[in-house]
Amino acid sequence: MQGDVQLDAKGLACPMPIVKTKKAMDSLQEGQILEVLATDKGSKADLAAWADSVGHQFIGTIEEGNLLKHYIRKCSNESIEEKPFEHTVSIDELQSLESGVILDVREEVEYAFGHIKGAKSIPLGELENRINEINKDLEIYVVCRTGKRSDFAAKKLAANGFKKVFNVVPGITAWKGNLSKKL
Amino acid sequence: MSNKVAIIASNGGVFDAYKVFNIATAAAATEKEVAIFFTFEGLNLIHKQAMHALPLPEGKEHIAEGFAKANVPSIPQLVEMAQELGVKFIGCQMTMDVMGLTKDDFIDGIEVGGAVTFLEFAKDASPTLTF
Repeated sequence: MQGDVQLDAKGLACPMPIVKTKKAMDSLQEGQILEVLATDKGSKADLAAWADSVGHQFIGTIEEGNLLKHYIRKCSNESIEEKPFEHTVSIDELQSLESGVILDVREEVEYAFGHIKGAKSIPLGELENRINEINKDLEIYVVCRTGKRSDFAAKKLAANGFKKVFNVVPGITAWKGNLSKKL
Repeated sequence: MSNKVAIIASNGGVFDAYKVFNIATAAAATEKEVAIFFTFEGLNLIHKQAMHALPLPEGKEHIAEGFAKANVPSIPQLVEMAQELGVKFIGCQMTMDVMGLTKDDFIDGIEVGGAVTFLEFAKDASPTLTF
């Protein structure tokens, strides 16, 4: 599993992992994921707190022996679409879904750290190329973290002839059920 | 929520320096506006020569090894990093006068001011820390 950009902070002590992460993050585009490799045990709590404080999304940490791999997604004040996709369902309705497909358009790393069981993963950026993987005859429930990326994705699907598309609001952040991992 | 962190550095040991500059760089990296007021022995932390040889507390000299082993950045490195991240350094005019020091004895890029200069910055800072 890889981020869009990787930062090697191995062997560095506090506060260097934070300082390096801040600098690296400045060069990322909104929505990209930074993968920070660190050996400082304190970086686990520190990076999560840092991301929270500056408004980025801390996705999670994988530990491999002494090596810590942290994943952080760059966020800014995402522009709100003027006219949201008209067909929506509440995230709670996915609890009792009988048919259709849950399409998770978050990044692969976010999906890996926790997704709704059975959901299909196609990151928003890959949707155009992989649109044929989705069955047009089924109901498509598009989900992301907060409902913004899925709004884009739902519009894209509708523009490509999908008839039964729903944007799931608000998104995984409000999901009350269990999340599956794929690490 | 305040976006400012104000720090008073009034001691001149290597431990003091790490406390001051670690907090300062971490805060600056977290997009806080940071100012450090260096007063009395704290001025050693930004003194051109003294900052390279700050003393460890008596009886704790062996800890120098621990610093090297943990790969902790040196004080001059942390100072450079702090300045690069926009941390403001204010040297205390009164202490400098008492000790016969001038702005040229210190690293580049510092401001010199009195207590009020710092207080003005610190009035709406949260937290304000003293080391």
